[in-house]
Amino acid sequence: MTTLEDPTRTVIGEGVDRVDAPLKTTGAAHYPNDYTYPGMVHAALVGSTIAAGRIRSIDASEAQRAPGVLTVITHLTAPQLERGPMTLLGPSPPAPMQDDRILHYGQHIAVVVADSPEQARHAASLVNVEYEPAEALLDIEDPRAEILENPWGLDSERGDVSAGFAQADVVVDERYTTPDNTNNPLGLFTSIASWHGDSVTVHDSTQWPHNVRTSIAQIFRIPESGVRVLAPFVGGGFGAGLRVWCHTILTAMAAREVKRPVKLVLTRPQMFTSVGHRPNSVQHIKIGATSSGDLTAIEHRAISSVAMEDDDYEPVAAGSAVAYECPNLLTHDRQARLNIPCPGSMRAPAEGQGNFALESAIDEVAHALGMDPLELRLRNYAEQHPVLGLPWSSKALRECYTLGAERFGWSRRTPAIGSMRDGDWLVGYGLAGVSYPFYQVPCQARASLRRDGSAYVTSAATDIGTGTYTVMTQLAAECLGLDLNRVRFDLGDSDMPYSPQAGGSGLTGALANAVHMACGNLVREFLDIVRDDDASPLRGAAAEEVTASGGRLHRTDAPDQGEAYTDILNRHGLEELSADGRSTPPDPQKIGMATAGAFGAKFVEVRIDPQLGLLRVARVVSAIDGGRILNEKTASSQITGGTVGGISQAMFEETATDAGTGRIANATFGDYLMPVNADIPDMEVIFCGGPDRATTVGTKGVGEVGLVGMAAAIGNAIHHATGRRLRSLPFTIDQLLL
Amino acid sequence: MKHVDTPTRPGEATSEIPDVEVTLNVNGDPYRMRLDSRVTLLDALRDHLGLTGAKKGCDQGACGACTVLVDGKRIVSCLALAAQYDGREITTLEGLTDDGEPHPLQKAFARHDAFQCGYCTPGQIMSAVSLQAEGRAGTDADICEFMSGNICRCGAYPNIRAAIRDVVSEANDASV
Repeated sequence: MTTLEDPTRTVIGEGVDRVDAPLKTTGAAHYPNDYTYPGMVHAALVGSTIAAGRIRSIDASEAQRAPGVLTVITHLTAPQLERGPMTLLGPSPPAPMQDDRILHYGQHIAVVVADSPEQARHAASLVNVEYEPAEALLDIEDPRAEILENPWGLDSERGDVSAGFAQADVVVDERYTTPDNTNNPLGLFTSIASWHGDSVTVHDSTQWPHNVRTSIAQIFRIPESGVRVLAPFVGGGFGAGLRVWCHTILTAMAAREVKRPVKLVLTRPQMFTSVGHRPNSVQHIKIGATSSGDLTAIEHRAISSVAMEDDDYEPVAAGSAVAYECPNLLTHDRQARLNIPCPGSMRAPAEGQGNFALESAIDEVAHALGMDPLELRLRNYAEQHPVLGLPWSSKALRECYTLGAERFGWSRRTPAIGSMRDGDWLVGYGLAGVSYPFYQVPCQARASLRRDGSAYVTSAATDIGTGTYTVMTQLAAECLGLDLNRVRFDLGDSDMPYSPQAGGSGLTGALANAVHMACGNLVREFLDIVRDDDASPLRGAAAEEVTASGGRLHRTDAPDQGEAYTDILNRHGLEELSADGRSTPPDPQKIGMATAGAFGAKFVEVRIDPQLGLLRVARVVSAIDGGRILNEKTASSQITGGTVGGISQAMFEETATDAGTGRIANATFGDYLMPVNADIPDMEVIFCGGPDRATTVGTKGVGEVGLVGMAAAIGNAIHHATGRRLRSLPFTIDQLLL
Repeated sequence: MKHVDTPTRPGEATSEIPDVEVTLNVNGDPYRMRLDSRVTLLDALRDHLGLTGAKKGCDQGACGACTVLVDGKRIVSCLALAAQYDGREITTLEGLTDDGEPHPLQKAFARHDAFQCGYCTPGQIMSAVSLQAEGRAGTDADICEFMSGNICRCGAYPNIRAAIRDVVSEANDASV
C-alpha cells in the first residue's frame, strides 16, 4: 500500500486550507451554544460569595415565584450523585451540590431553570443565601495549608547534587513565581441536555466527548450506550474542556427534573471559577556550572496551588529532569491545598511555568559565566534521554537552535547589557529552549469507502482549532489514494469510535496512527474481496504489493494492473466496505528509544522605553521540531497561536484573587488582560527535523510547544536590554520603570 | 414581514417586565418581534431569529465576537438592547455572502488561516468589513489598532492582518 514516504505524495504536509473554513467563515459552524431544541428551557447558576464555610440557609422561594421559573435546585433538593470516574487525567471533579459546605468562591450552590435566559438570570439573583463563613486559606505559602509531596511520583534524583554544586564555579540560586492564569477560551462553555427516558443527548464544550459520556453514565447510573455527546465545533478549550465540570452535570440533572431540554451557558465571570485555571507556582531553582560552561548540578523545587477536595496534574519542576545533560539533578514537586476553584490543565500545563524558571536561570548562569546563552545550551545538549538513558526517537533541537539563530540574526547580538538601541528604545535579544514531554494514549478510528468512491472516516475526537478535521482528511486521502474532496473526516460525536482528549499535544499522533491503520485495513478488506476473483487484476495481491492512487488500487510494480474501488464494490454488489484502526502508544523499552515530544527554540527581540516602562515584543522566531508536519499551514498556526499564548503569559495574564474573600477580582474581559491585535508582531515559524521514529505516521504534537519558552525568552531579552532580571510573571510596567 | 414571538407558557403572565414590539431589518429582511425588553440585540439575533453567526464571548462588550453592522457601522450587539434598534438595518455574517458567493474577506480568512477555533471569526470578519468602510485599513498600524477590539484567544492575529491586507491590496489593484 501507499507509504507515507512515497515521493509522489501530494497531500500530506501541504498547507491546504482548512476543510472547515467555509463553515467557520460563514457562521455555519455550530458551537454548543448555537443549538436549540423544541421546548428548550434555560438554566442559570448561583455561585457562592464566600470562599470557605457553610450555607446556613438558602431561601429559593422568591426565585421560585419569579416569572417563568420552572425549578430552583439547591443542595437541599438535589438528588444524591456519585462522583464521576477515574480518567486518564486523574479523578473527576466531586459531584456538585451534595452538602452545605463551601470550599471556594463561585462554587455552584443553586441552579435556576426558567423559560428564557433572561428570566433564569433574574431569578438566580433572587436566591437568598446566608452563610456561616470560615477563614479561607488562599495563600500558596500559608503554613496552615495541607501539602501534598510528590503527588504524581514524578520527582527525579540522579547523581549527587551537593557534590555537583561543590564542583561549580558559578551557582545561581533564585526564586521564581508565576501567577494564576485563566484559560478563557472565547466560547462560553455551554451544556445542553435533552433526556428521552433513560437516554440523554448532551451538547458540551468539551475536548473529550467520550469522557463526558462515561461521566454522565456513571453519575446518573445509566448505560453508556444511552448517552450521546456532541461537540462538532468547540470555541477553544486550552485545557478547560478536558474535564467534566459541575455545570455539565447540573445541566443534565436539571433537564431530568424538569423533563425538558435545558441549556446552560456560563457567564464570562463564571468561566473564571468553573472550568479550571493554570495554578500559581513558587519555584526555587539552583543551577551550578564550571567556568567552562558545563552544568554540574540542577535542583528545581516547585509548589503549586490546588483545590481543597479535587486534583490537578501539574508537575512543574519535573520537566527540568530531561532538558539538559547534567549528571547531578533533583526535582521536587508539591501542591498546597487552598480554598480556590480547582486548577486544571491550561495550554502547556506545568511546562509553561517550569520552563520559565529553568530557562531564565540558565540565562542567569550564562550571564554569570560571560558566555553566550546559546552556546551554553548547546554545550549541555542532552543527546540521550537523561532519565531513561535511551536515544530519543527524534530530536532536532540542535537544528532548531542553529537554524533559528540564523533566521533571527542572533549573531548580531552584542552581549553587553543595554548595548543595543534603536532611538529611544532599548533593544534586547533573548532565547529559550523547549523540550516538550511526549504524551499519547490509545485511539480508534473507522474508515468506510462508498459505492460512489468517496470515503468517510470518523473518530470521536474534537477539533478545538487545532486543524484535526483538515489533517485527518489529508492523511486519509493520502492513505486511500483519493482526492481531498472525495474524503470526509468527521468527529465530535461520542457514538463514533473511541478517541482520547484533544490534550497533552497527544491527539494528532494517536489519531493519525489510528486513521492510518484504519485506511490500511480498509485496503486489505478490498484485497480480501478480490482474493479469488478471476475478474480482478488484483487477485491474490497482498497489501504490501499494492499502491492506492487515483481512486484505485494497483500492483506497485505494475501500475496498469489494478482497478477502481468502485469497480470492486459494484462487481461484488457491495454498498460500502469499512475497517477499523487503533493506535497504542509505543513502549520506550520495547522500541529501545525514548519517545520524544516536540522540541523548540524561541528567539525574541524586545523593545523597552526606559522612561515609560513600555515593553514591546518586536520579533519572534520559533524553530520547532514537530516530527512529521501534516499541514504546514495549520501547524504554523498552532505555533503562532501558542506563541501568542506565551507572550500573554509573559506580559499580560494574572488572575487576581482577593486576599480577604477569595473573590476573583478581575473576572471580566475588561479587567483580565490578554493580547489584542496591536500587541502581537508578525512572527516566523520554521520546522526542523523529520518524522519521529516511534510511530508509523511520525507526528509530534504542536499544540502546546509554541507557548513554552516565551516567558523566559522575553525575560532574558529584558535582562539583555536593561540588566533587570524579572523573576515574577507577568512582566508589568511597574517592574520595568528604570 | 415575518413574525417571531417570544415563547410563553399558556395562561401565565410572561413577566413583570413589559414586552416590547420591535422590527429588526436583518440582512435585508424585516422581522417583527415581541420580545422581553431585556433581550439584547445579540440574543434576539441568535435565540429568536436563529442567526447564530454572531457569537457571545463575554456578554460585556469586551471581546468583539458579537460584532454586527447597524446601518453600516459596527457595534458590539451584546451591549445593545434589541428594543433600541427598531427599524434599523442590521447586517450579520450570514448576510455577507452575495447570492451564495462569499465576501472577499471570507475567502481571504480561509486562505490565510486567519482563525483556529473559529469562534471569534464572525466578529473579526464583520469588523474587517467595517474597517474598509471606515478607511482604516490603509496601513498595518491602522489594521492593528482598529482590529484590536476583537479578541482572538487562539492567537491568529498575524494571519488576520494578512487576510485584511490581501483584500485591501486586491481592492486597490482593482481600482487602479
